[in-house]
Amino acid sequence: MREEVLKRILLIIGAILMAIICLFPFIWMIVVSFAEDPTFLGSPLVEYKSTLENYVRVLSDPTLHFPAYLKNSIIIASLVTLTTVSISSLAAYAVSRIEFKGRLLIPIFVLGLSMFPQISLVGYLFKFIEKLGWVNTYQALYFPYVAWTLPLSLWILLSYFSQLPKDLDEAAMIDGASRIKTLTTIILPLSAPALFSTALLVFIAAFNEFMFALLFTTDHRARTVPVGIALFQGVHGEIPWGSVMAASVISTIPLVIMALLFQKYIVSGLTAGALKGE
Amino acid sequence: MDNNLTSKLKYREAKLGYLMILPLLTVVLVFIILPVMGTFWISLHRDVTFIPEKPFVGLRNYLRVLSAREFWYSTFVTVSFSFVSVSLETILGLSFALILNERLKGRGVLRAIVLIPWAVPTIISARTWELMYNYSYGLFNWILSILGVSPVNWLGTPISAFFAIVIADVWKTTPFMTLLLLAGLQAIPQDLYEAALIDGASMFERFKSITLPLLKPVLIVALILRTIDALRVFDIIYVLTGGGPGGATTSISLLAFNYYNLGDYGIGSAISILTFVLVLSFTIVYLKVGRFREGLK
Repeated sequence: MREEVLKRILLIIGAILMAIICLFPFIWMIVVSFAEDPTFLGSPLVEYKSTLENYVRVLSDPTLHFPAYLKNSIIIASLVTLTTVSISSLAAYAVSRIEFKGRLLIPIFVLGLSMFPQISLVGYLFKFIEKLGWVNTYQALYFPYVAWTLPLSLWILLSYFSQLPKDLDEAAMIDGASRIKTLTTIILPLSAPALFSTALLVFIAAFNEFMFALLFTTDHRARTVPVGIALFQGVHGEIPWGSVMAASVISTIPLVIMALLFQKYIVSGLTAGALKGE
Repeated sequence: MDNNLTSKLKYREAKLGYLMILPLLTVVLVFIILPVMGTFWISLHRDVTFIPEKPFVGLRNYLRVLSAREFWYSTFVTVSFSFVSVSLETILGLSFALILNERLKGRGVLRAIVLIPWAVPTIISARTWELMYNYSYGLFNWILSILGVSPVNWLGTPISAFFAIVIADVWKTTPFMTLLLLAGLQAIPQDLYEAALIDGASMFERFKSITLPLLKPVLIVALILRTIDALRVFDIIYVLTGGGPGGATTSISLLAFNYYNLGDYGIGSAISILTFVLVLSFTIVYLKVGRFREGLK
């Protein structure tokens, strides 16, 4: 009995600490984004006053280009999501359903690729993209992102498709449906949760990517939010913290809301993607 | 006749199978395999922007890199970062997972909260930590000033900058560890605990002899996944310290990046390929320990 009480107390303290640890930087971002003067903590002369000024500035100051970055990020991440999910559905279907030589090597091969450090691609990729004249274009990020997000996506869909009974396909094919028709009318609708979690994970991964975006873009034409936020600088070299945090909140809140609303899918996607070897 | 027909059908099926994996293979070939091979090829040349000829130098770039102190120092930084960061993250992630695995009021809310650090983009979380570490108006020095302690230049000294990066990284990556371990915990059959309770096993004994051994497979996969990821750390260091002060927190990826920035593609590529080799050695362990082939069946 005593042990149970002790455990209960430890658990509650642990839970509170956990919530604080997970939340405080996020809350701090929000606090500073509304601060009239972000230096309010350092100086006894400055008190915290809230204002929407930072948001107005970050959305309207033409030198910051933030709306352009946001637009670029959303367009690129959406296109990448659409492409990656389509390409990997096809591949996952083939690997899980169709007999052909070497099919079991595909997932292992793709898994191996996901272990490549990004930096080992950029030496050549940078020159390649420069040669194609793609610097500052969407395709400079689109293609590498699709390639980069495929492994995770393939693994999640593969682990899901493999669980669906094969009788489904056979029944459909006896009715005269082609493979592609079976995939689009039977397998994909049944896999909605897996497709959904894959799409979310791919979108977030593409939205977050930094190294390629930093190297392959030099101005606001294709620059994405992470690079924009990493490179924000004031006129005199000091960091405009209010604007940076406002931009951070604007770009993070939708992702956090998505993560919270669709937690179940994200968790199942992440664990399916990571524990596939189990 | 019948046999002929089935083999024809089989052939058509196989052809369709290849067609369906073709888009995946094409993209991956052109944008992953080809670039890695290309980077390897560049690493065998003296390749500096603005100098038109790029002579083949064999392994000379590698010899130069491997005999440079800065490379070994960066390797040391990267490996220590990965070790410290992944250890802390595992301890924290396991604690979180154990808490979330208990029947507790508001567990749903807690489970949602734990996802937040994961959902915040890395660069944005790095920026927020940078602000909190700020010397004159950061949150941490403010707390210290309330406690009457003089301010610390968090990002300004090698040791504190190292730990500043570790802490920011642990914050960002713990949710992933928590989720994996929680999935592992939930797969442990409850009746084992009930049987142990009847036997009068204490909380600690139950943890040691049931939870840990049964969690081990998941724990190992999670550990190696995170280690491989930590070995290629770039974003968070780029923003928080830029590799400073004085190169003290430069990871190998950042070192390679710096050479690319200087226009020295030969050396940058050699360092990149060595990073790949380092990660690959962990990947081999991963494949050995994770037993992927069995997982496919």
